[in-house]
Amino acid sequence: MSLLTNVMDHSLDDGYAEAAERRRAEGRSRVPRTVRARLWLGLGLILAALVVTVGAVHARESAPEVAKERGELVRRVDDGSAHADALEHRVDVLRADVQSRQRRALQRHGGGGESVAEVLSGAVPVHGRGVKLVVDDAKNAGSSGGSGPRQSDGFSDTGRVRDSDLQRVVNGLWASGAEAVSINGQRLTGLSAIRAAGDAILVDNKPLVPPYTVLAIGPGGKMSTAFQNSADGRYLHALQKEFGVRTSISTQAALRLPAAPSLIVRTARPLKTGEGSTS
Amino acid sequence: MIAVLGLIVGVVAGLVVRPVVPTVVEPYLPIAVVAALDAVFGGLRAMLDGIFDDKVFVVSFLSNVVVAALIVFLGDKLGVGAQLSTGVVVVLGIRIFSNAAAIRRHVFRA
Repeated sequence: MSLLTNVMDHSLDDGYAEAAERRRAEGRSRVPRTVRARLWLGLGLILAALVVTVGAVHARESAPEVAKERGELVRRVDDGSAHADALEHRVDVLRADVQSRQRRALQRHGGGGESVAEVLSGAVPVHGRGVKLVVDDAKNAGSSGGSGPRQSDGFSDTGRVRDSDLQRVVNGLWASGAEAVSINGQRLTGLSAIRAAGDAILVDNKPLVPPYTVLAIGPGGKMSTAFQNSADGRYLHALQKEFGVRTSISTQAALRLPAAPSLIVRTARPLKTGEGSTS
Repeated sequence: MIAVLGLIVGVVAGLVVRPVVPTVVEPYLPIAVVAALDAVFGGLRAMLDGIFDDKVFVVSFLSNVVVAALIVFLGDKLGVGAQLSTGVVVVLGIRIFSNAAAIRRHVFRA
């Protein structure tokens, strides 16, 4: 604190007091009024005013410049993101175009009509009777901290539905005669993957949120019975009994399943003729 | 009279001539301004105290500006320029503040 006290106490330059003391000792008047003294004072004030004015002018001149530079940067960032948005939009348009062309080409060359291959590969939306199976985590699974599937604290909560559980359920449905299956509105194809990332279950790399609604098109009651008697159905039953996983199965008179979001063409041959090659 | 004239001449010169501040001394300009303000307020207070001395004023002004700039320059070379300029501003700011308070006491008697 002594430093601050010192600064406070000696706020006035000590030189003034000393000069006054000297003057008194010499017996001169308190404030000298010679021309030289006044010139000195004027010079000092000129300097002081000059420095302050230059500082003020400088600060004022550089302020708009800084703002201008900033505005220029902001403009460039905006331009860049607008450009990126436009490109993204173009990518989307082109992707949709490619998809529709693919779909058309597949329809033209893949036999047409609702062939078994089309239904199984998820190329066309399907509707019909089937089975609705809802699987959800156990009531107490991971409910301690939030409800999201990512906020779990490790392997302790056994009531959580795992990706392997869903895999068994879906495989069991296929085995029981399902012709088309979707999970939470995502159509499964012959190449769909059910995987896990952390605690979230991914279908074709898209995360799902519980409860998991599995819709399967097939011979309603027969499929339901077949599934519940199969090994996978019993597995699900065991999950329900042992770990409190909530499941419900019901036959539905009319189900609508969308087409798979995109079909990937793995083998293709260019046409012999020039048809459709230029666009 | 000469004092007021000096002030006006200084301001006008600063506005008209628009001296280009070299980029080398640019970082020290704010410090110089604060030092100049400190000297001016000190002089004003001394005048009101009746112990004003023109020589002390001019010398203290010049040395304040030079020493403040020098300290900051040295700090820049040592890599602690920002901290040292903060220190200079704090010390000069406290002085300006207490001098302004003394001037206020003189003028308003309160």
